[in-house]
Amino acid sequence: MANIAAQRIKREFKEVIKSEEIAKCAIKVELVNDSLTELKGEIAGPPDTPYEGGNFVLEIKVPETYPFNPPKVRFITKIWHPNISSVTGAICLDILKDQWQAAAMTLRTVLLSLQALLSAAEPDDPQDAVVAKQYKEHPEMFRQTATHWTFVYAGGPAKMPDLDDKIRRLTDMGIEEHNARVALSSYNWDLERATEHCLFS
Amino acid sequence: MSSENDSEMDCSDSDCGDPGYEDYYNIQPWGGEVDNDVDPEQNRRDPEYAVCDCLRVEEVERLLNESVEVLSNSLHITPSLAKVLLHAHNWALQDIVTKYRSNASSLLINSKIKPTLEQVPGSKSQKGGLCSVCVTISPADRFSTLTCGHSFCKDCWCMHFEVQITQGISTSISCMAQDCDVLAPEDFVLSLLAKPNMRERYQQFAFCDYVKSHPQLRFCPGPNCQIVLRSKEQRAKRVMCSSCKTIFCFRCGMDYHAPTDCNTIKKWLTKCADDSETANYISAHTKDCPKCHICIEKNGGCNHMQCYNCKHDFCWMCLGDWKAHGSEYYECSRYKENPNIAHESVHAQAREALKKYLHYYERWENHSKSLKLEEQTLEGIKMRINNKVMNASGTWIDWQHLFEAASLLARCRYTLQYTYPYAYYMESSPRKELFEYQQAQLEAEIENLSWKIERAETTDRGDLENQMDIAEKRRVTLLKDFLEV
Ligand SMILES: [Zn+2]
Ligand SMILES: [Zn+2]
Ligand SMILES: [Zn+2]
Ligand SMILES: [Zn+2]
Ligand SMILES: [Zn+2]
Ligand SMILES: [Zn+2]
Repeated sequence: MANIAAQRIKREFKEVIKSEEIAKCAIKVELVNDSLTELKGEIAGPPDTPYEGGNFVLEIKVPETYPFNPPKVRFITKIWHPNISSVTGAICLDILKDQWQAAAMTLRTVLLSLQALLSAAEPDDPQDAVVAKQYKEHPEMFRQTATHWTFVYAGGPAKMPDLDDKIRRLTDMGIEEHNARVALSSYNWDLERATEHCLFS
Repeated sequence: MSSENDSEMDCSDSDCGDPGYEDYYNIQPWGGEVDNDVDPEQNRRDPEYAVCDCLRVEEVERLLNESVEVLSNSLHITPSLAKVLLHAHNWALQDIVTKYRSNASSLLINSKIKPTLEQVPGSKSQKGGLCSVCVTISPADRFSTLTCGHSFCKDCWCMHFEVQITQGISTSISCMAQDCDVLAPEDFVLSLLAKPNMRERYQQFAFCDYVKSHPQLRFCPGPNCQIVLRSKEQRAKRVMCSSCKTIFCFRCGMDYHAPTDCNTIKKWLTKCADDSETANYISAHTKDCPKCHICIEKNGGCNHMQCYNCKHDFCWMCLGDWKAHGSEYYECSRYKENPNIAHESVHAQAREALKKYLHYYERWENHSKSLKLEEQTLEGIKMRINNKVMNASGTWIDWQHLFEAASLLARCRYTLQYTYPYAYYMESSPRKELFEYQQAQLEAEIENLSWKIERAETTDRGDLENQMDIAEKRRVTLLKDFLEV
């Protein structure tokens, strides 16, 4: 790893460890290997959002050209959010692309920006078109779906029995649970259309 | 706008035809030689003509540097900052000078040379210390400061520039500091870049950006061609690169598209690409004869078909009787909209919209195919003539008119092809009726010409030349009445 990159990551790692956010358990970062090229991040779902109470794990890859190029970050924890792919966890956020600034941004600001993204989605610049459509057209349905995903994948507190029932209807037909959840979420929990999708496509 | 009769009348024999019939749409009729003697009178009357120079890279650099020098002298700024200003203002030199005289500071802020007032960094002249990018302490002489006052170590600037250049970015490289969008001017970048290949790439990318921001310049779109075309008119005119012979629209750089305008052709091509699945079935090369139902393959460009079985003459596009097509007013090119469509169901409206699109698409696509097929016909004619000449049956000169005819046919059909997107986006109106009338006239004469060329050796030369004349007149009339550039 390039000298500048290693130098910066070490310093930024310390910055996160010492930050007040870590004291409040809002963000966290861990080393994955000794070479500092990969880290594991964690953010707490912000209050008053469907993600509240959930814990979201992030994969952070540090490029050779860091900090002149942004780190490559994606969600490991499955999440239902317009700017995050429900399939790959890829993130659409300007500071992780062309708005990255070498002198200004750090691991800490990246994690805090992602936390802010969970509070304020930008459905007009979507990563996941299906989620973005639901967010705009059926906001209540979106809130329930995101809360449900937080419960299932991120250890969130709110169980949604109605939604669980629908998933069970599909799993009883032999459909894998996650696939059933994705299909129902994508079809606004319309059991008939989700069934059709799972069985015939 | 003149009526079609007037414009036909003022279009006398002498000034309508192009004397050389030189390659119009990349058809090279006669050993590739091009008649460059331009007749000024003809050019004034030709609605497609534009004054245009083909420049080599050094010539373009000289041209750009002239502007840079004038601006740098009149505002007393470095040539490098003058370039930033010119690039930001599309090389409108006089405009920049005026703006500078009225409010220099706002011009420099808008052009991203100076930071906006809120983000002026406290005048911290670097006396060495910690570089906030690499978090390393260095002495003062290892630091460089951009016009915004932000200072970083030289190695970090260099790395930053290299990463940006690797991504193809040059004139838009900005400062590394938080929320600072001040641009790094050329001399600043070059003073910090060490690797020669990086400097070279930077200069190449910057040159591209300058040409692209200059309204009078356009890169030749020809493959691997380095030529830059310059036209002071900046309009959607037909221009040809003198080096690779590519012909394109000066304004948008795409294939020349008169009478359709740049935005419309872009919309049309996007639509065609999006709907390619739907329109795919059209590409069939065979249709059944409408009379005896035998399968007929189309292997020439002419849309006037004659069934080899029953000798019925029909139109390939609409399968109608050809006799009706030759007459004064023919309806093949025109799309008849359902007048009550507004009251129909959404489903019926969608079907109608698709039908309308397919009508125009089919004709657009068909003429494009005809152009290619007629190129093959021309090759065939060349071979046959070659044989004749070898057998001492006339000389090449005796047959030259055939190549001129084929070249003229290509130009007419090309224009005809591009009338279909134009008509597709036209609202129903008397003007549209006039357009479709002229389009139909042009189409009929083109098919007559194509028919005669395919039977060239048996066609009377005078008859053929007469037909060429009529077709070109129809084409020029349509362009004069409808080409808005
Ligand atoms: Zn700056
Ligand atoms: Zn540095
Ligand atoms: Zn060229
Ligand atoms: Zn154009
Ligand atoms: Zn027949
Ligand atoms: Zn027809």
